[in-house]
Amino acid sequence: MSLTDSLPFVEFGAPFLQQALFVTLAFAILSVVFETLIGFGQALVLDQDFYGRRWVRVSIIIPWAIPIVIQGMIFFLIFNPTIGFGTEFMQSIGVFGETPLASSDDSFLIVLVADIWKTTAFMALLILAGLQSIDRGLYDVAKVSGASPWQRFKYITLPLVAPALLVAMLFRTMDAMRIYGLIDATAGCETVPSLTCLVIIALQESRRWATASAVAFLTAVVISGFVVVYLLALRNSDGGVA
Amino acid sequence: MSADPADREPVADGGAADEPDPTVEMAEQAGREEPDLDRGIVEAWAAKMISNPDRAYRATFYVATFFFLVTTLFPFYWLLVVALTPRNNLSEVGVFLPAGFNPAAFIDIFTTLPFHRYVFNSFLIATVATVAVLLVGSLAGYVFGRLRFRGRNAMLLLVLVTSFFPPAAFFIPLNRLFNTNVDVLRPLLSAGSLYNTPYAIFIPLSAIFLPLSIFILMTFYSQIPDGLEDAARVEGTTRLGALFRVIVPLSAPGVATAGVLTFISVYNEYFFSSLMTDGRPQNWAPMLEGILRFQGEFEVLYNLMAAASIVAVLPVAILVVVAQEKIVSGLTTGAVKE
Repeated sequence: MSLTDSLPFVEFGAPFLQQALFVTLAFAILSVVFETLIGFGQALVLDQDFYGRRWVRVSIIIPWAIPIVIQGMIFFLIFNPTIGFGTEFMQSIGVFGETPLASSDDSFLIVLVADIWKTTAFMALLILAGLQSIDRGLYDVAKVSGASPWQRFKYITLPLVAPALLVAMLFRTMDAMRIYGLIDATAGCETVPSLTCLVIIALQESRRWATASAVAFLTAVVISGFVVVYLLALRNSDGGVA
Repeated sequence: MSADPADREPVADGGAADEPDPTVEMAEQAGREEPDLDRGIVEAWAAKMISNPDRAYRATFYVATFFFLVTTLFPFYWLLVVALTPRNNLSEVGVFLPAGFNPAAFIDIFTTLPFHRYVFNSFLIATVATVAVLLVGSLAGYVFGRLRFRGRNAMLLLVLVTSFFPPAAFFIPLNRLFNTNVDVLRPLLSAGSLYNTPYAIFIPLSAIFLPLSIFILMTFYSQIPDGLEDAARVEGTTRLGALFRVIVPLSAPGVATAGVLTFISVYNEYFFSSLMTDGRPQNWAPMLEGILRFQGEFEVLYNLMAAASIVAVLPVAILVVVAQEKIVSGLTTGAVKE
């Protein structure tokens, strides 16, 4: 590891730090994009009235309520080469190598999929809240004017749900930037180093308090950068969040 | 905003089902009037979709619902498959069916390790944290929701800002603090430090999950009419008395929401839970250490890991089934009204 022992503790030239920064940013951006898209789909399903809706809603929420260690355990087992079916399947379509949980690229994908599985439900709930605050009368007016369901979605749902969507994405990005538990329970911090992983490695392996603090502070700075971007976007979106 | 939207009117595609839509009938007649067109199944299906787009939307809806149900529930089913497979057959475990049937794994997890003790530790920490968060959150929610004073918004923003920091940033000073021996604590804790005690997990987690509860409770408390509180005050109760005898009971749904969300969050937390104890059950190691501990030094007991995961999921799964409406309304009030 190439973190330094003296001031400024963290050097941007250090490959390990660059790697961690890249992994964390890539994870945060990819996971939020996919969770938003799939979560929107789930929210649209949950926004309908249909028989058995209560149980569909429970099923879709349940991954969100799963302890992180169990989420990690499920995907650890699925991609375990001896017992899981995931490795074989991914090898047959030519994506994964022999031991996916020991390779950084494959593990990154596994962690990403595991996170999408669990936290999409959270996005779905927050987007659902936005959907349900839309005045139903607007849809009736649109229907009478002959708008197709796709037009109703594009010109009514999407603009009105935008503020709630941005708030949900903000929460998720902040959370995704702190990823640690899922990595620790599946591939391990050496295989997929995130920024929080770096803090723990610096503390537990070499007791470098200053280095660890500097990385933690760097994480907070990156997060606040994202927060500022979202707040600007929120200000520009018409609805505004009171 | 209503918690349960079931009583709402059906949206988008429900309308066609109730009242016969003239365009649908016309389209169906048109379909019947062209018998000489010899169409295959797929072609006929596609033609129907084109003549009646609502059908296409309906089909998309069912396909999407089915897809979401399978992707969210299948991993749990597969966990059960692994748990039921005897250890020697684990390499042959299928995707849908276990290789053999060994329900004894659900008993072995308690004899190989004191897994019940791990779950109990987690349960207790989550319960105490929930009570503490509700108590402090009620006081803060009352102040922010019902009192007008200078600097209220600034303080509210400050509460929100705490949730911007990554737990790693809190962990470093806390780790030093909890590992320091403090003589004052000696009568209470044998080692004199907070490491390896439930307090080391309960204190940071309560603090981290407090802001969400404050926002939820603030929203609910601010909706209680002032007259009710005034009446209680006139009858001679204090502000605290009015809070706990009038406002809290009237906001019971909000309190339940905040409680359920806090309990689930603390029970599920990984970061502090994995770092604040040495992993032994008598030292208050939480449930996650128990599950990881089946990854022994000599062999990994995969089937027991799976069985333990299923057992540890039960408390939160039951809570979600019972309190799903509260969770939905809580997340929506907590997040959208901020």
